[in-house]
Order: sequence, then C-alpha cells, then structure tokens
Amino acid sequence: MRDSQPFDHRPDPELGAALRAALDAKGDQSAFVARVMSQYDQALNRASIPTLDILASWFRPGIAAATAALVLGFVFGRALLQPAPTESIDAALAPVEGSGLAALVTAQDPPDASVVFTSLVEPQ
Amino acid sequence: MGSSSDDEGLVARTLAGDRAAFGVLVERYAGQARRVARAVLGDPDDADDAAQDGFLSALVKLAQFDPRRPFGPWLMRIVANAATDRRRRRNVRRVEPLEPSLVGGGPRPDAAAIRSELGDRLRAALAELPERRRKAVVLFDVEGYSHAEIAGILGIPEGTVRSEVFHARRRLRTLLADWKEPMT
Repeated sequence: MRDSQPFDHRPDPELGAALRAALDAKGDQSAFVARVMSQYDQALNRASIPTLDILASWFRPGIAAATAALVLGFVFGRALLQPAPTESIDAALAPVEGSGLAALVTAQDPPDASVVFTSLVEPQ
Repeated sequence: MGSSSDDEGLVARTLAGDRAAFGVLVERYAGQARRVARAVLGDPDDADDAAQDGFLSALVKLAQFDPRRPFGPWLMRIVANAATDRRRRRNVRRVEPLEPSLVGGGPRPDAAAIRSELGDRLRAALAELPERRRKAVVLFDVEGYSHAEIAGILGIPEGTVRSEVFHARRRLRTLLADWKEPMT
C-alpha cells in the first residue's frame, strides 16, 4: 500500500486488490447469475397475470365496500339533515319566573321596556 | 466493467423484454454488486440476497434510468441501498471486534497463514468502519469509481467522499500495520 495523502484522487491498487480478494464471493458467479435470472423469470410470470383476473379478484370486496359506504353515508346524511327538536307550545307560553319578574312586580314606577324584556329572557 | 454505450444498448434491449440482455448486465455487474453488498453486510449470503434485490429493483426501475449517464453508478446506488435496507431489516449482527491477536501485539503468523488470514482481517477491519466510509473506499479503491461518481451513488458531496476515502484508508492502514510488509 502506498502512503495515502489527504484527498488522494488516485485509487490505491494494492489496497484495492486486497479488499477485492477479501470481498469476492467464494461461490461460483454463474450460480448467482442463474439465481437472479430465475427471479427475473418468476417476476415476469407474476406480471403476466391477466388484468381481468385481478379486477375480478377485487370485484366482491369492492361491491361490499361500496355498499357499506353507501349505508354509512345515508345514515350520516340523514342525521345531519334532521331538524333539531323544537320547544312545545305549552312550554313556550308558560309563565316565567325569576329575579327579573320579582323586580317587575315590586317596582312602584311603571316598568321600563328593558326590565320587561329582561324578565322574559333571563330565566332561559 | 462494460463500456457505457454497451450498457446503454443492453438497457434498451432489456426494456424491450430481451431476457438475454438483462442476463449480460447481471453477469457484467454481478461481481461488483456482490462485493459492494458484502462491504455493507459482511455476511456473504446476506450480501448475495441484497445484490439480487438490487438487480431486481433496478429491473423494475429501469425505465427511470437516464441513458445519457453511465449505468454502473446508477446500479451501484440501487445495490448499496438494497444492502443498507437489508441490514436494517434483518438487524444483521455486527462483526465481532477484532481479537487482540489480530489487531497486533500477538504472535505473528507464518507467511502462509498471513495470506489466508488477510481476508478475514480486512473484512473485520472494514466492519469497524462506518457504513458510508466502507462503501466509499470499496467503490473507489476496489471498483474504480471516481469521487464524483461515488458522490452520486452515495448521495453526498464529492468533498465528503474524498474525506471518507482518506479516513477509511488511514483506519485500514492502522489496523493492517502488521500485514503491510507481506503485502508489498
């Protein structure tokens, strides 16, 4: 190995040869190539499955998923569109009570409009 | 390593479905791919699995390859990434630290033993380096790629590649000091 200078741009042939020998696989290279080509063939076979077969395999789960989504959408949409329950007429017309009402009854002067309004609104 | 124009033709034929053309590419780069993978993984069987993953991954991505650029660095990037992925997935055991007798200071083996132990020692020394440094020194000193090409393969600046190669060499030299004389 020659002395390595900082940022030497030349490969070190001796170190390279030693590392190459250390990293080279013991096994036959042709066996490795054959193995990769076998995988290549298998990949090609997998890729040649007709598209229609794949679509057919998706058909049933797809129908089930679409049905479920439709039902869920209907239920959710219905819940959203349903109006909120309104107060009954009897409850709306029932007399109100509270401190505002007491102030209205005990006052000596005619009530101000805002006091009347407050006595109606406050208990709610 | 084949010429760039050869590779370009083989890539085009592979894309057209020519099985034999892909076979030539695999034969041409098998040694290199296996060595780079072994530099990352250590174990030769894991390395072959990773190299195979790399070739098949390259096949899948072949349409993305820019034929104006050299094929080797593009392929090595994929192989190196495949090796790194495999190391992460399998949590490959780290090579045990060098025994004191290998690091130095122990009894010196005879000349015949030196040659047979050199490979083990180098692999152990490599295993002590950070992965990126390992890749850089192997791609530079073993596979003959330029700093610029290695920068592309590893996705790091060229200056960092120079630094990694320098530090890897220095470390290897330290670890292999006892073996320096027989090698030269």
